[in-house]
Amino acid sequence: MTATTSTPAPSANTSGSAGGAGPIMIKLEGLGKQYPKEPKPAVDNLTLEIPEGEIVILVGPSGCGKTTTMKMINRIIEPTSGQIILDGEDVTRADPDQLRRKIGYVIQQIGLFPHMTIAENIATVPKLLGWEKKKIDARIDELLETVSMAPETYRNRYPKQLSGGQRQRVGVARALSGDPAVMLMDEPFGAIDPITRDRLQNEFLRLQAEVRKTIVFVTHDIDEAIKMGDRIAILQEGSRIAQYDTPEQILTAPANDFVSDFIGRGASLKRLNLSRVRDMNLTQWPTVSIGDDPARVLDALRASDKGFALVLDEQRRPRRWVSAPDLQRGDNRPLDQIGLPPDATVEPQATLNDALNELITANYSVAIVVDASGAYQGIVDIDSITEAIRTMRTDARARARVGLEADDAAQVG
Amino acid sequence: MTFYEFLERRYDDLITTGLEHMYLVGISVLLSTLIGVLVGVTTYRSERPREIALAVTGSFLTIPSFALFILMIPFFGIGAPPVIVALTMYGLLPIVRNTITGLREVDVATVESAQGMGMGRRQRLLRIELPMAWPVIVAGIRITTLILVGIATIGAIVDGPGYGSFIFDGLARVGSPVAINLVLSGMLGVIVIAILFDSILAVLGKLTTSRGIR
Repeated sequence: MTATTSTPAPSANTSGSAGGAGPIMIKLEGLGKQYPKEPKPAVDNLTLEIPEGEIVILVGPSGCGKTTTMKMINRIIEPTSGQIILDGEDVTRADPDQLRRKIGYVIQQIGLFPHMTIAENIATVPKLLGWEKKKIDARIDELLETVSMAPETYRNRYPKQLSGGQRQRVGVARALSGDPAVMLMDEPFGAIDPITRDRLQNEFLRLQAEVRKTIVFVTHDIDEAIKMGDRIAILQEGSRIAQYDTPEQILTAPANDFVSDFIGRGASLKRLNLSRVRDMNLTQWPTVSIGDDPARVLDALRASDKGFALVLDEQRRPRRWVSAPDLQRGDNRPLDQIGLPPDATVEPQATLNDALNELITANYSVAIVVDASGAYQGIVDIDSITEAIRTMRTDARARARVGLEADDAAQVG
Repeated sequence: MTFYEFLERRYDDLITTGLEHMYLVGISVLLSTLIGVLVGVTTYRSERPREIALAVTGSFLTIPSFALFILMIPFFGIGAPPVIVALTMYGLLPIVRNTITGLREVDVATVESAQGMGMGRRQRLLRIELPMAWPVIVAGIRITTLILVGIATIGAIVDGPGYGSFIFDGLARVGSPVAINLVLSGMLGVIVIAILFDSILAVLGKLTTSRGIR
């Protein structure tokens, strides 16, 4: 037997077909782009199926043709060969302006129109589609709410009055305005600082869970790909598919050396981006209400081995960490004026990676899980994360064994 | 006769001439703007036409104004028409150049996102590119106006209206005491009109520019 590749992965998908997925929304067939005077095509005969309602990530090193591929879907770049099938219809030669009004488009620089208000920016596509003014106004408010920006505050502002993160949100709202079935996003979080980026990514995933658009998402960042993608196409030069699979599959069974190199080290750490806090068994912590007297707090502390209790307000929102020494020093002051503020909170849709980042910098090395309204749900600590990593590794090994056994069986048979 | 007495005596005349001067410059600036923006819009995309447009309108400005006004006579006679044509030619360069600069400075990403949202070529130009380039274009119109207010005085040699007549009258009477008064009042009138036009355009420019890009 000769070992030809470093990681033989019988189940890795190196074709463009989305095996086991629902109905196909976008189908690229033998798509190619050859620029004049260039020796090699920028995109070489790419065939790719994008299932409805999924986020498909095109990821690869710079110059691999991923952006060109995406821009051919709405024909900002015209393909020189092949076909684009959108929802069963060949749009390779359709009117590009009509086509683009049905496809949301977000680029890295966002490209808001600086001379128009936020409302006017969002109204662009509905106006092009000829909606009535009433319907447009309602849509603007609805979308601003969706991206957590108060309509009455932001409607009449100009882009220069917004922060980078707010501009990005408006960019997403604008792309959603015509209620397109398909969205194209070219490094949409690329120009945003890392902390805001994490938050916006989480918000976007929560939004996508509601709207279920078919999204083609371009990035060069494998971590972002793993976090955001339902499916990832890792592309090599000329937009050739190195592997097209779920993030889990790509981390567990890289199809070839190119994919392994591209994932880089620390596949098990990257897997932390795949699991979310809501999928974990949350640890419970002693909690007290903000109005409780010190004796009640001491009881709660005595009843557990944690050493600190979490003070919750009437809406069950975390307000303070208190310990027994805090109470003594506190001298009967109200509970929200002693101890330390709760500094690390995550929402259920945050990834374990987010939670890990939070708890490492937190006062008591735990991240508090709160729901959308800010109410306390439980705790993630380092033990629960280690446990999660162990489980994932066992699962991954088990899956790899299944592949081996199938191979053995085939050879025997 | 002091300068002040001169102004008092010729008051009506100075006002009428001033209005004529303003009319002359106003029409010419309007024509320069229409033609200049059109030339800018049609040429800014590709290098060759852009360079030709700038070279041609630039060369207009190098023609000595005396010569140009006189050359206009066979085609447009004397009076206001040859002056308007010549002024329009002189006024093109700043407007064409600023239109081209303004349109080329519009952020590519903004235009691409407009394209990606399904705006056609004409919609992108009218709704995105021109409004964004507008402050730069207005700056060009203001420069043109200042240049034309000055050059318009030379139009008096082909019997054009305006303060040029005062200055040329003064020139014809060099040595007599009234000569200085004539030249001085013509010059003062030109300055007043220049300030007036520039203030009007500054306000107009501000009113027609979106708050988002001011």
